[in-house]
Amino acid sequence: MNPQFLMDGLIAGAMIGLGAIGVTLTYSILRFANFAHGELLSWGAYLAMAVSGALGMLSTTLVKPIAPFSFGWSLPIAAVIAILLTGLLALAVDALLFGRLRRRGSAVIILVMASFGASLALRSLLEFIFTSKPAYYTKALQIAVKLGGGLRATPDQLLSLGLTLVAVIAIHLLMTRTSIGRSMRAVSENPALAGIAGVDVRKVIRVVWFLGAALACIAGIMTGLLVQIRPYLGHDLLLPLFAAAILGGIGSVPGAMLAGLIVGLSEAAAVQLVGAEWRAAVSFVILVIVLLVRPRGLFGRAA
Amino acid sequence: MSLDILAYGAFFLTMALTYAIMCLGLNIQWGQTGLFNVGIAAFVAIGAYVSAILTTPETPDRFGGFDLPIVVGWLGASIAAGLAAWLVGALTIRLRSDYLAIATFGVAVSVQLCVLNIQPLTGGAFGVGFIPRPFGSLAGNPLTFSLANLALTACVVLGLYLALEHLTKSPWGRVLRAIREDEVAAQALGKRPIRFRLQAFTIGGAIMGLAGAVQGHFIGFIAPDNYLPILTFQVWAMLIVGGSGNNRGAILGAVLVWGLWALTAAAVSAFVPPEQQARASSLQIVAIGVGLCLILLLRPRGILGEGRSSIAGRFKPKSKAQQKFKE
Amino acid sequence: MSGSASTTPALEMRALVAGYEPDLPIVRGVNLSVAPGELLVLLGPNGAGKSTLVKAIAGVVPIHSGSVTLAGRDITHVPAHRKIAQGLAFVPQTENIFATLSIHENLQLAAAVLPKQLRADRIKALYERFPDLATAPSRLAGALSGGQRQMLAVARALIVDPPVVILDEPSAGLSPKIVSEVFEMLQQINAAGVTVILVEQNVKAALKIASRAVILVEGQIRHEGAAASLLDDPIVAKLYLGTGHAQNHSVGAEQP
Repeated sequence: MNPQFLMDGLIAGAMIGLGAIGVTLTYSILRFANFAHGELLSWGAYLAMAVSGALGMLSTTLVKPIAPFSFGWSLPIAAVIAILLTGLLALAVDALLFGRLRRRGSAVIILVMASFGASLALRSLLEFIFTSKPAYYTKALQIAVKLGGGLRATPDQLLSLGLTLVAVIAIHLLMTRTSIGRSMRAVSENPALAGIAGVDVRKVIRVVWFLGAALACIAGIMTGLLVQIRPYLGHDLLLPLFAAAILGGIGSVPGAMLAGLIVGLSEAAAVQLVGAEWRAAVSFVILVIVLLVRPRGLFGRAA
Repeated sequence: MSLDILAYGAFFLTMALTYAIMCLGLNIQWGQTGLFNVGIAAFVAIGAYVSAILTTPETPDRFGGFDLPIVVGWLGASIAAGLAAWLVGALTIRLRSDYLAIATFGVAVSVQLCVLNIQPLTGGAFGVGFIPRPFGSLAGNPLTFSLANLALTACVVLGLYLALEHLTKSPWGRVLRAIREDEVAAQALGKRPIRFRLQAFTIGGAIMGLAGAVQGHFIGFIAPDNYLPILTFQVWAMLIVGGSGNNRGAILGAVLVWGLWALTAAAVSAFVPPEQQARASSLQIVAIGVGLCLILLLRPRGILGEGRSSIAGRFKPKSKAQQKFKE
Repeated sequence: MSGSASTTPALEMRALVAGYEPDLPIVRGVNLSVAPGELLVLLGPNGAGKSTLVKAIAGVVPIHSGSVTLAGRDITHVPAHRKIAQGLAFVPQTENIFATLSIHENLQLAAAVLPKQLRADRIKALYERFPDLATAPSRLAGALSGGQRQMLAVARALIVDPPVVILDEPSAGLSPKIVSEVFEMLQQINAAGVTVILVEQNVKAALKIASRAVILVEGQIRHEGAAASLLDDPIVAKLYLGTGHAQNHSVGAEQP
């Protein structure tokens, strides 16, 4: 087997892991599986493209690639703005849809269903605005560098891996060391008690939406940068995201990242062994195995 | 001219009724039992392909082609889709309610992959053609052919409707309702909720498989594109519009939503310039998504009012117990 | 109405109607005034609405009408999470600690409502008061015993040094020895000047430590008086067990 599959799997796994952290956080605090999470990845990718394109029109120097990467300063600047916008989008959807259902005391499954409707609307809206034609942040080509051991990676890929590592460590520290992280864990265990203990549960929910959306946006931009931007970008990643969140154990940030890498590496291995056309089935197989053997996942609490 | 319209009307209604069958299957899963299935398209596809493989004439480059009667195909479709539903249900129904949703979503993705990639069985992207059509000998006369098919499909829907109504009123249906309204009490009476839920999910899956077969035979060919996630969305929209829990509502919802869908699609192709049609149809899907959310927010019991056995109980879980308390 | 007329009540309810559903009130018109420094016990048969009443005061159950004032300030519609900062602490009956957080994190979480510079000192003060908790503050709270959990729950409630603490059946599920320890702790807290309101099924033990008792039946106050005088009052048994039930049970009959 070509060792390069390890690098491919690692990169795919990093993006799945980032997205899965968002899924696991929103799942553990809002208590429902959000089928619209994939669309946050897609929206993040397109928003960054739109902002980056606008910046490029303002100044051509912003588009000039920063060596050794394939993109100019317009993309990192656009990424920051896109993160904010994706966060606002998530907050808006919550205010219009999920928040209202929550206050009414709707059953979990009603929220799942609403997320299903929201995902359909959000995805097709992207298709309407940007059409289903694939898009790219940059036309510049990159040459992969040799890393030794038969592995090769482009500078963009290495940067994405590095940024993922930074993001995961930052989220982990936020969850374990800060006041808002403590509040998030408290709400995830017992929202009613958290309220009694003085935690503003609605504020925590807003923070979680924003955080999940921000991570989704980063994962979406990376996918767009390393693969391509399509309206179905997030939808096609949704099953891997769910599989990773459940394999890692709902609520566990390190679990989601580790499981994301496992899913990514398994997909890459399957591409080598079985064929690329079966890639999308890998997550389902992993999901079935987890549900059969250990439904609470690697680091999850017993239900 | 008017005969053409009549033939088209019969064709349209027959298609709508095949969706009504799917809707009835979903109603027993969601409306009666509260199980959320995001993989309707997968169960429909399983039914359509199994029936096609059983009934098509022999083909050299494809497995299957057993040339069996259509009824055998229908039966095989129901059994295969029911079995698939049973497997998914057995895996997830004992877990959290949304794990079933995630698993059915996974089934939809995987079945779509299988249909595309196991070419020797499914014909890959080209699908399966020459599926025998009921009353195929009448095909020379479009009107008679359409009316005969409409009558046949209507009989299937009616038969299913009567059977499901009977089932709802049977002791089995009462247990299902009891579980839905007060799981703990039902458990205390010695009913095992997981088993009943699994049975309901399996029956629903089998009905969806039958729908796939009926539709496949009516059109005469099937391809992976017929079983995209949008199909799942459409069936959901139909049930929600009709009012879940209500079998008549499920049928009416299917006809209404399919009518609306076909009309807007026709309008798009008539009035929108060809290069903009893809965009216009994505707007059509946005409308379905927003509509689904709006109904959940504004009319959680469906547009057509409440079914006799509506899911209202689930929306106010406490009221019953407190009613007793107040007395 | 009882309680001291000359000072502002620590907590006062007027015509309070509350319940989970808008059309089904469980608490039906409660008027009650609690004087500063009292240790008040709320008694009543199962389903009388005791728990719902204290949850409504704490902001966990919706209030339909009437009012709640804390030291003269209207807190009827203050959301649950802001009540602790205003000086009203509530300890629920079950699941009253965060099992997946450490002991220290449980206290840190609660201390977050205080100004930053006070937090560390308040936590330190609580560790001095509850030395059991200080032995291993990084232990997960889920690993604590029943009595220790109750201690942590009370410590969590005391973090802001609130003038009023409400506890919902703190003795539930504890062994008799631990129950007496918990009650002793409550007495100490009360002796330090905190107004304590207690929901209890453990009638005899509660009446022994309380200064005053209120008996709730079907969401309304049916009887009240000095705790000591109620210990042997036959009306307590009558209200408690409901008319028509066996009346030969003594007040002290402890419910499971």
